[in-house]
Amino acid sequence: MFDLEFARGTLHDVALAVMMIVYFIRLYWLTRFKAGKERQAPTGIGDTNSRKGYIYSWGNVGMPWAMESTRTKLFLYFQFVIFHLGVTAAILLMFSISFYFKDSPLPPQLALTFKIIIGAAFVVGVLRIIRRIGSKYVRAISSPDDHFSLWLLTAWFLFGYLAANNNIAAGEWKSFTFFIMGSFFLIYVPFSKISHYLYYPFTRYYLGKSLGRRGVFPIKRFQ
Amino acid sequence: MAKERSHKAQIVIDRLGKKLNRQIVGSLVACVHCGNCTDACHYVLANPGDPTYAPAYKADKIRSIFKRHYDWTGRIFPWWVHAKSLYTDEDLEELKDIVFGKCTNCRRCTINCPMGVDLATFNRMARGLLVSVGVMPEGVAVVSKDQWEIGNQMGVLKEDYVDTLEWLTEEMQMEYPESPGIPIDTVNADVVYSINPREVKYDPRTISDAAMIFNAAGENWTMPSEDWDMTNFGLFSGDDDLGGSVARRLYEKVVELKGKKLVISECGHGYRSTRCEGPNWAQHDVSFPMESSVITMINYIKEGKIKVDKSKNTEKMTFHDSCNNARSCGLFEEPRELLNMVCENFQEMYPNRSENYCCTGGGGAMSMSEYTPQRLVSAKVKADQLKATGAKYVVTSCHNCVDGLTDLIKHYKLDMKVTQLVNLVANALVIDKPVEGPAEEVPTPAEVTPVAAEAGSLQGYKILVADDEPDFVTFVSTVLEDNGAEVVMAYDGNQALEMARKEKPDLMTLDITMPGKSGIEVFEILRNDDELARIPVCIMTGKPELRKLIYDRAVRPPEGYVDKPIDEESIILNIRRILELAKSKGK
Repeated sequence: MFDLEFARGTLHDVALAVMMIVYFIRLYWLTRFKAGKERQAPTGIGDTNSRKGYIYSWGNVGMPWAMESTRTKLFLYFQFVIFHLGVTAAILLMFSISFYFKDSPLPPQLALTFKIIIGAAFVVGVLRIIRRIGSKYVRAISSPDDHFSLWLLTAWFLFGYLAANNNIAAGEWKSFTFFIMGSFFLIYVPFSKISHYLYYPFTRYYLGKSLGRRGVFPIKRFQ
Repeated sequence: MAKERSHKAQIVIDRLGKKLNRQIVGSLVACVHCGNCTDACHYVLANPGDPTYAPAYKADKIRSIFKRHYDWTGRIFPWWVHAKSLYTDEDLEELKDIVFGKCTNCRRCTINCPMGVDLATFNRMARGLLVSVGVMPEGVAVVSKDQWEIGNQMGVLKEDYVDTLEWLTEEMQMEYPESPGIPIDTVNADVVYSINPREVKYDPRTISDAAMIFNAAGENWTMPSEDWDMTNFGLFSGDDDLGGSVARRLYEKVVELKGKKLVISECGHGYRSTRCEGPNWAQHDVSFPMESSVITMINYIKEGKIKVDKSKNTEKMTFHDSCNNARSCGLFEEPRELLNMVCENFQEMYPNRSENYCCTGGGGAMSMSEYTPQRLVSAKVKADQLKATGAKYVVTSCHNCVDGLTDLIKHYKLDMKVTQLVNLVANALVIDKPVEGPAEEVPTPAEVTPVAAEAGSLQGYKILVADDEPDFVTFVSTVLEDNGAEVVMAYDGNQALEMARKEKPDLMTLDITMPGKSGIEVFEILRNDDELARIPVCIMTGKPELRKLIYDRAVRPPEGYVDKPIDEESIILNIRRILELAKSKGK
C-alpha cells in the first residue's frame, strides 16, 4: 500500500489539504489581532504616500539595491533568489508528476530545466547549511527548526534533482523519496519557519504603509 | 512540577497579550533568522565577533516569550523553536539589559530586514512591559517621573523656565533694545513654539536664536508657560500612557492658547513623538498643523521674511540625520535644503538619510548611565563616519544627537563641534531692521558661543567647585577662571561645607557622589543653614539617576542641575544664568 502510487497520489493530496487548512487557520489567527491605526498627518516632502510605500515594500524582494543588507551582499541575495526558485520548481515538479506525467517520463527539456534550477538550489542549500553552522552570528540565532527546515529542503532538492526525469524504470526509490519528503514538507510548513512567506505580505504591507505615509519609503539615497 | 513564576514575570506575560497588534505579531512570527540585519546595527559593527548584539539575537529574546505563550509550535514544542518563558525577576533584569542597554531603537535593522520585521517597534513594546512592572534603568525611572509629575522630562520647574525665558528676553533687549523678546502665553498666536527642556537647562542659546529668527520674520508667535515640552519619554520607555498624556498636554495647550500652528524645535524624538506618534498614543486627532522648525525656517527664507548670508558660515560642515527624523518621519531633505541656504561648505556624510547610523545616544541611552561604557564602544562607528567627512562642524536637528555626538567626539578626540540649524540660521541672519541692530555684530560660528563667551563675564564672582574627581575640578576651575571668576575648590563633602562657610561663595557647583559627606547631605545642610542657604547651588553629576535624591528633599531645589559630561559652553551658560537670576532676585 505504501508505494509510489500512494506517495504521489493520496498522501500528496492529503498533505496538500492539511497544509491549506492549517494555512487558513494561521491567517485567521493573524487577522484576529487588530491592526494598529495611524492618526498622524503625513510627513516627508510629499513625493510619496502609504500606497507607494507598501508597493515599494512588497517589491523590495526584487530590488537588491533597495537595502544596504542586500546591496552589499549580492552573493547572498542571488543565493536567496536561486533557493526560492528551487522551492518553486520542486513544488511544480511534484504537481507536474502527480497530475500530468504519472505514467511517463518528463519531456527531456522540461526535465533539464527542473534539474538545473533544483540542482542549483541544492548547491545553495549546502552553502546555506555551511553558513548557518559556520557563521557565529547565524548560528547564535538558529533554532532546531531553522536547521531542520534547511536540511529538509536541501535534501528534498537533491531528490528532486534525481527524480526530475520521472524515469521510474531507472529507480523508483528516487521519486518515492522525493514525494514522501514533499508530503512531509507540505505538512510541516505551517508549523515551521518555512511559513514565513505567508507573513511576508502582511509585515511588508504594514511597514511600507507606515513608512510611505511618513515619507521614508521608497528609500532615498545620495551617492 | 511546574516552575514557579514571579509576580512581575506573570504580569509581563499577561500584558504582552494585550499589547499585541497585527503589525507586532507579524514582526514576531516572520523572522527567518537569515542574519541580514546583523551588519546594519552599530552595536554589532563596534563589537565584532559578539553575536549577542545582533538584532535578530536581541529580537529573539522578546520573540521567545511570545512564541512560548502565543504561538502554537512554541507552546507545544518550545525547544524546537527556542521558545522560552519568563520566570524570575532576574529574567526580567536580563531582558532589561537587552532592550534598554543593547538597542537604541534606531530602526536601522528594520529598513534592512528583507521580511520587514520591525524590531524597534516590539523592542519598545518590551520596554513598556518592563516599565509597567518597575523594571527599568534608574535614569528612565527618574526622567519618566519628572515628565509625569512636573510635566517635562528634565524636571524644569515653571518658575525656572519662565525666569530663563525672561532672562533671555533681557539679554536680547540689551543687544536689540526694541526686540519683542520671547512672548509668553500670547493668545491667538500664529505660531506656538514648543521646545526640549534641554534647551532651557543646557542650551538656552537655541531658544534665543529661534526667538531672533521669529522676531526677524515678524512672526506672531508665543511660547506656553506650561505644557511646553515637545519631548516625550514615552517613546523611549515604551509607556504609551505617558506618551499619550504628554502629547495630549501639549495639544491641549495649543488649543487653549488658540494657536494656529505648533512649531516643534529641532529634536528628533520630540518631532516624532509630537508630530507622528503622539496622536496615536493619545488617541487624539489633532486639529491644527504641526511642523518642524526646520520647515518654518526654510519657509521664512523662501518667502523673503528673513534674509540670510551664507558667507557667515564658512567652516566645513556635515549633517547627521537623527534616526527618528530620517527613519521614522522622512525629515531628511529639508535640513539639507536649509543647510545649503545658510552655509558655504557642506560635506555629505556616508551613509546618510534613512541609512545613517545612530548617534548612539538615541532611545534614551543618554539617560542610562549604567550602559555608558558599551554605548561609547558602539559609538566608534559614528566616530569613524564623522572623521571621514573632514568637517569641522557636525550639524544635526536633534538635541539628543547633540548630546550623543558631543560625548563621542570628546571620547574619540575628534576635532569637531556640534551645532544645530537654528544656530546657523541665526548666525547667517541679515538683520536690516533698525530695531534689530547691525548684522555685523552676530558672531561667526567659529567664535560662537554663545551667550557667554565674553571673557570676564564672571568677573567679581567667587565660585566654589566641589567634586571628588580632580580632573573635573581642574577643568571646571579653568573654565571659570578664564571667564574672570575667583575659584575655590573642594574634593569631598566635608571640605565643601568647610569652604562654603569660610569663603562664602556666590555660587557652588556640587557633585552628588563624594567621599565623606555626599553631595546630597551637603546640599541639605546648606539649605537648612540660615547663613549658607542663600548660596545658589548647581548640581553637576554623572549619575542622573540620583537626581530624585536631590529633588525629593524637603528643601528648596537647587538653582541648577547639569549632567556630566558637560562642555565649556554649558558650564558658563548655566553659571551665568544662575548668578544673574540670583542677582535679579536680590539674593
